[in-house]
Amino acid sequence: MKNQLNNFKNTLKIVLCFSILALSVSCEEAFEFELPEAGSLPDNTLPTANFDYIPNAVNFRSIEFNNLSTESTNYIWDFNGLGSSTDKDPSFTFDAGEGIYPVTLTSKDANEASTTVTIEVEVVDKFVAIPVTINNGDFNGGSSGWSFDNFTGGTTSAFNASSDGSFTNYDGSDNGAKTKGAKWTKATSAGAYLSSNTRYAYQAITVSPTLTSPVRNVDYILEFEYAIKTPAQAAGVAPGGNRIYAEILNGHFADGADAVASTPIVQFIADEVKGKRVHTTVQQKFRANASGEVAIMFYAVTDVDVYIDNIKVYAAD
Amino acid sequence: MKKYIKFLIFTITATLFVSCNSDEFLNPLPDTVIVAETFFQTDADVLSGVIGIYDAVQGVNENTQSSSVRFNRGVQLEYLLTEHRSDNTRSKTLEGSRADFHRYIVEPENIQSEDYYQSMYEIIFRANNVLKYVANADASNINKYTAEAKFLRGYAYFNLVRLYGAVPLLTRVVTSEEKELLFTRVDVAKVYEQIVLDLQEGTTNLDNAHKSRASKAAAQGLLAKVYLTQPTPNYAGAKQMCEAIINSGDFALETDFRNVFYNELNNEIIFAIQYASGDPNESQGFSSEFTSYKRQGRQDGLNIVNPNLAVDFINNGGNRTGASYAAFGDDANLPIPEDAEVIKFLPLGSDISDTNLPTYGDQPGNAGNDWIILRYSDVLLMHAEAVMQGNDTNDANAIDSFMKVKVRAGFDAITDRPAVLTVNTLLLERRVELAFENHRFFDLLRLGVAHDVLGAHATLKGYTSYNIRRLLLPIPSREINLSEGLLTQNPQ
Repeated sequence: MKNQLNNFKNTLKIVLCFSILALSVSCEEAFEFELPEAGSLPDNTLPTANFDYIPNAVNFRSIEFNNLSTESTNYIWDFNGLGSSTDKDPSFTFDAGEGIYPVTLTSKDANEASTTVTIEVEVVDKFVAIPVTINNGDFNGGSSGWSFDNFTGGTTSAFNASSDGSFTNYDGSDNGAKTKGAKWTKATSAGAYLSSNTRYAYQAITVSPTLTSPVRNVDYILEFEYAIKTPAQAAGVAPGGNRIYAEILNGHFADGADAVASTPIVQFIADEVKGKRVHTTVQQKFRANASGEVAIMFYAVTDVDVYIDNIKVYAAD
Repeated sequence: MKKYIKFLIFTITATLFVSCNSDEFLNPLPDTVIVAETFFQTDADVLSGVIGIYDAVQGVNENTQSSSVRFNRGVQLEYLLTEHRSDNTRSKTLEGSRADFHRYIVEPENIQSEDYYQSMYEIIFRANNVLKYVANADASNINKYTAEAKFLRGYAYFNLVRLYGAVPLLTRVVTSEEKELLFTRVDVAKVYEQIVLDLQEGTTNLDNAHKSRASKAAAQGLLAKVYLTQPTPNYAGAKQMCEAIINSGDFALETDFRNVFYNELNNEIIFAIQYASGDPNESQGFSSEFTSYKRQGRQDGLNIVNPNLAVDFINNGGNRTGASYAAFGDDANLPIPEDAEVIKFLPLGSDISDTNLPTYGDQPGNAGNDWIILRYSDVLLMHAEAVMQGNDTNDANAIDSFMKVKVRAGFDAITDRPAVLTVNTLLLERRVELAFENHRFFDLLRLGVAHDVLGAHATLKGYTSYNIRRLLLPIPSREINLSEGLLTQNPQ
């Protein structure tokens, strides 16, 4: 009986030991360090692919792509099978020119999750009119660039050189003092005073032609400043008033006599009398002819001194 | 005895467990705490809640609390996010996160961008809070307070949506558990719908009694700008709003351009945030940051004028040029200054007549110059813009409004009047009239030329990080981290 009791006590001890062991083991598990991946969340913010594009300013065939994808780091571009790129913001030249090209962008994140977008890229040859540079438009070079090569029955002198031009520089900034300009007087006038001494300022220019098939109308603007002396500054009024003629001629002319006899595309009569040094800016629109070869011509009909300055021609837009 | 000890231990242990379970034991409620639930009891309480929203717009002066982390600056840092990111101005130094904006390298971690984002949501939170308890105000004031809170909420969302794109849209007080609402970005068009609704309430329920608080005209003016900016512009609505302000007769252009800024709450001001000079709690820090040659601020000089803006001023500024910026030291002798400084917000007591020794009064760091959010000349130019509908115009009404602003600047009403008002002319006029008032960046976006103008500007300046994605600021990373994957980032 005593032995049995001892056995029971021993069994109890062993059971107790095992249960303590089991407890401590499970505790160890409970306090085990977390593995790096444990507790991390799945990436539910998946990439979205999107892009925009802008044609290159110089070459319309070259398209600059702007990646607007989110949550992504790797990119695969497919330019309609014509090429590919893994750049973020690639440029691609569609050598075949105008057309619609489906471009596919696949955006991937670092988990290789990806989305794809296909956008039709429109390559268009947008017309940009030829810019015109006027030779000696500020008259700082005297009459250089403004004379006819020859003039049957007249003079190739363009105008009277003048230091009484506009106060404005050619770039539009204020010079703070007068600049050089071009001048006409009664002796160099046309109209009632037409003579072999009548002077014409002439310059041939080339513009983008107006086309009829397909229709493409090209408009330009002739800009200049002018001033006419008031009666208080100088007496005398020419028949029809003191005025300056600004014309765009339909073609290039080697002989001044032919130019004067031609019918201009457009004629503007500048006749606001505000006085010497008070310049008025004129912007006269004209449509280019079919050849694109046009010419600027200025002359005056006046009793008093008149002035022009800062001649410009640019595309109307 | 042993028996009793056992009982004693049991009892003590039991008590301990009970008290540990109670939240109050570890988190006692201080006697001084003001709980929103119990605060808004009377009309005066609601009114102080409304004034509190303006306090969030006003922000905390950096010279009062210099920590970048814990204090909302309100509108005081706005020039970094707007003027610096346009072609108008830049930071003198290239050090620190304030110098990231003008170079288009703002990252999601940028502390000033984060502050502004938080500041706008602080305005929204305070507005929503007032709206929740507004029923406790006097019956006659409920509509007014509601309209005022909604006006400010609309103002904050208008800033957020233009700078960050789609943002979470909260129109009630939200607890931190409602993650879906807090961090789900809502379409830009939807956000604009809410802004329009919020501002419309102000156009009917407010009057023109205040200039430093929301008013009918402020709501109309801001709504006009929202109409012009929203994805599908409402030009007719914008025109109507501008004409309502013009025809109210309550506002007029100041004769002297300088007085717009130094004669506070003058005839031209429609809505301004007020500051008080010398008071650390009610003053602003940006006036001192705009100095550089004899610097008064914490930085080497911010909002430094780009030469290209100076050129536009010289050619088109008229008498505004001398009142908008000034050059100091050797820079003053250049025909086009390189590092000119903004002088629309000089601290009280400033004297800059000696360009070699400008002085800035006793307390330049605690400046009191108001921040103008809306003024009459802006409304006149918006009127022209609304008539133009994105095109050039020869409409006499549009050109009349445009010429009022130009004539005040010293131009001739007849000889300087254009026959055709072009979009570029309008943009140029806005640039010189409203320079340093945080309009330029938004003007470029609204008129659809931001990428053209800023792309060319970045190329010229060598800011190679610029690309079209930089027109939107990144959502602050702090918000994204808190959202546990709900809040998405803008294209980077």
